[in-house]
Amino acid sequence: MGKKGSIYISVFLILALLLTACSKNNEPANGGKNENNGTKTENAENPADDGKPATWIADRKIKGLVFMGTDDYTEDMNVEIKQKIKDMTGIELELEIMKADHSIDGLIAGIASGDLPDFITFYLNNSGRPEMSVILKAAREGMFTDLTPLIKETKVFSKYLQDDYLPLDTKYGVMFRPEFNGSSYFIHMNVNREGGATTRKYVGGPFIRKDIADTLKVDPRTIKTSEQLYELAKKIKDGGFKDTNGNAVYPIGPSYWGGKEVGALYPDLSWGASDQRIKPDKDGKWLHEAQTEFAMKRIEFVQKLLKEKLIHPEFFTIDESRATEAALNGTSAIIGDMHNYQEFNNDMHYLPIGPLDNADSPYQMQVDFKSGYSGWAIPSTTKNPEEIVKFADFLASREGKLLWQYGIEGRDYTLDEKGNPKVKQEVLDLKASDPNAAKKLGFAGVGNSFGELLGGTDIDRMADFGEMEFGESVHPEVLAGANGLIEYFDWDGKRKDAKINDGYPPLSFLGEFDRGTELKTALDNYNDSLTRAYYTKNLDEAKKVMDSALKQLQAAGLDDYMKLLEQKNADEKTRVKY
Amino acid sequence: MLTGKLWKRILLHRYLYLMLLPCLLFFIIFSYIPMGGLMLAFKDYKFNLGITGSPWIGFVYFERFFNDYQSMNLIKNTLIISGMKLFLYLPFPIILALMFNEIRGKFFRNVAQSISYLPHFLSWVVVVGLVQRVLAPDTGLLNETIANMGGDGSTYFLMEPDYFYQIMFGSHVWKSIGWDSIIYLAAISGINPDMYEAARMDGASKWREIWHITIPSIMPTILILFILSLGSILSAGFDQLYLLRTPGNMHLSDILDTYIIRVGLQGGQYGYATAVGLMQGLIGFILVVLANRLSRRISDTSVW
Repeated sequence: MGKKGSIYISVFLILALLLTACSKNNEPANGGKNENNGTKTENAENPADDGKPATWIADRKIKGLVFMGTDDYTEDMNVEIKQKIKDMTGIELELEIMKADHSIDGLIAGIASGDLPDFITFYLNNSGRPEMSVILKAAREGMFTDLTPLIKETKVFSKYLQDDYLPLDTKYGVMFRPEFNGSSYFIHMNVNREGGATTRKYVGGPFIRKDIADTLKVDPRTIKTSEQLYELAKKIKDGGFKDTNGNAVYPIGPSYWGGKEVGALYPDLSWGASDQRIKPDKDGKWLHEAQTEFAMKRIEFVQKLLKEKLIHPEFFTIDESRATEAALNGTSAIIGDMHNYQEFNNDMHYLPIGPLDNADSPYQMQVDFKSGYSGWAIPSTTKNPEEIVKFADFLASREGKLLWQYGIEGRDYTLDEKGNPKVKQEVLDLKASDPNAAKKLGFAGVGNSFGELLGGTDIDRMADFGEMEFGESVHPEVLAGANGLIEYFDWDGKRKDAKINDGYPPLSFLGEFDRGTELKTALDNYNDSLTRAYYTKNLDEAKKVMDSALKQLQAAGLDDYMKLLEQKNADEKTRVKY
Repeated sequence: MLTGKLWKRILLHRYLYLMLLPCLLFFIIFSYIPMGGLMLAFKDYKFNLGITGSPWIGFVYFERFFNDYQSMNLIKNTLIISGMKLFLYLPFPIILALMFNEIRGKFFRNVAQSISYLPHFLSWVVVVGLVQRVLAPDTGLLNETIANMGGDGSTYFLMEPDYFYQIMFGSHVWKSIGWDSIIYLAAISGINPDMYEAARMDGASKWREIWHITIPSIMPTILILFILSLGSILSAGFDQLYLLRTPGNMHLSDILDTYIIRVGLQGGQYGYATAVGLMQGLIGFILVVLANRLSRRISDTSVW
């Protein structure tokens, strides 16, 4: 053998060796069984006959395209978690987030491109959300797989086929629409296991700086009307209070998240929920706020606040960074809107005001029977769609949730005698000191909610993990502020008297209304007109603006839509909530 | 044979044609092929059938647009804003170019030019962010100055329709004037210096030089740029207006471009958005052709 021949043989042998080594590395450790850190998982305990774990689905890659904001989800998955999923199910999950100014723009462009991966996910609070008309059009045009036969065989999603499991809107408005004759083309997510259950005890609305309330000797809980709020704002202005930089405070500052209309500031001057503005009057006649006196009453109130400099002049339009800055610096004596889970308020230096009463009734907590948040669908081009459904079912199981909500046993948590996860102190410390580094651990508890996309449903954290919030059972101080405010607000007391709603939000039927597009434009115009009217020089000018907005609403078919709501509400399957 | 001659010429100058090729490809791929998508304006777009497979529906979208109560207001706003940007703005970069031309100190001229170009490189998001901060009620620079001088200092300029045109036009001039003056400056530098020398010998003042030599010499450039810009008369600058829009000024700031984005794209109505876009393009095209003819007849200057 010549010198060249030896070199060829050597190269061949080296390559063969490398390829063999690579292929061994790619095999799941221990033939797919998971004994890592002694995790007590079903798959380890109950291996299937062929040596694969009971949770095994298929050896394949599943790609998902996410049409939702990057703040909530991230494409970067933690390597160990990804491997764990692979070991348990054989699935290699890959996510891509479609970046767009508005998530719906991305969704439309993505579906129109026709080049969709194995599954897509999107926002879908209820059937009235703008995304609904897009996915409905896609479903009608045969873009998605019928999921009904596929979920029959699952453990978690088969509950969706039970009679009383889904809320009305999810059942008849989103998933099993009459026109589909039993078929369903998208799964509505974040449905609670128990009706009327609450996953978080939110206390929302306006909050006042505690030191200011104390100085003025005002119990914020006694503020029940917008007029009392006005008097409080006047006292704040006269008190000459300063923020942390020594500048004068704004008596009523903007929402923590930026400029917007805040219905909770004046529920006694509003008609219906602030994102709907529709409800029936005493005689059962459905009306939009534009058809009532409430808009002008509120405009008069806001103009008074603006003229007397009691409210931030950019309350409705300020950008988020400046609004948050005003909250953190204490520049807002009253923060227009925030909630009790804000970390900056863990010392409770802001306290909730009210809650204020409605125009025609005292305050009553409103709880949705169940409500959705997002959805997913499988394009009709996806091969073996049953594997995606099985994978979603795995992520929605307790075992799957434990993995994507709490991470890896031993590394991120330990299990107590009841089998509930106890979060490790170092994970909580890292989350507090360096949230971005913590997020890289790759599970929902530290800020990466990838699993929620397919598995965030059938929610009952207390039953599954023995705690409402991540890490709360071990380290209750993490939520000391939130829990203190819950007690201060008497959340549990108010929850006892709450009204539990099941039904469709009034604007859910825009998609099936023949002039839905025009009416949607006119409704948007009404909301903009309101803000414009707040800033007009006088009430006469404001009245002209609002009259013009009402005319546009009527030209776009508002009266017919109100009649449609009346019909819908008469049918038990399409009751309207307000 | 003409074709034979043409091929011979192409072969002879093959390297020049080769250099032209990327440019031609660019326009074919990014400008001409996408024009096929214009058929969407006449189709009921279906996700599963694609652009070519979707059924034809004629002029439905055009009818819908003109039946919309907003259409006349949108066209009016678009014409006012683009009219201001075309006609009112036209002298500004020319005057700046003339001023730069008269600066004798080279260093100072370079510095002044660089400063005036810089805003061009900022995106509208940044510029409108600056505008919002400067004009913010109470805390903005302008309002603080007004307050320090004894005024009210709480005017919310961006919410008041009375100030909308000034803010829109002012920010447009600030952002564009430096960059747009470059081409006029280049045209000015191409003027034969002998003409100025002759004028000076005849006793012409600086003003006379500008009026009788500089402006006539750059007039063809002014006309060509003006004709070309007529093509975008129905596009009044989407990003600036989308960002400056507030509920207070929306009845003045809603233009066709913002409408296309809001109703067409955000609402998923591609066909409708394409129809309105096509209308903008066609009207622009007709105006360019007409203005070009007029210019050729009056001044012998034309784009083609």
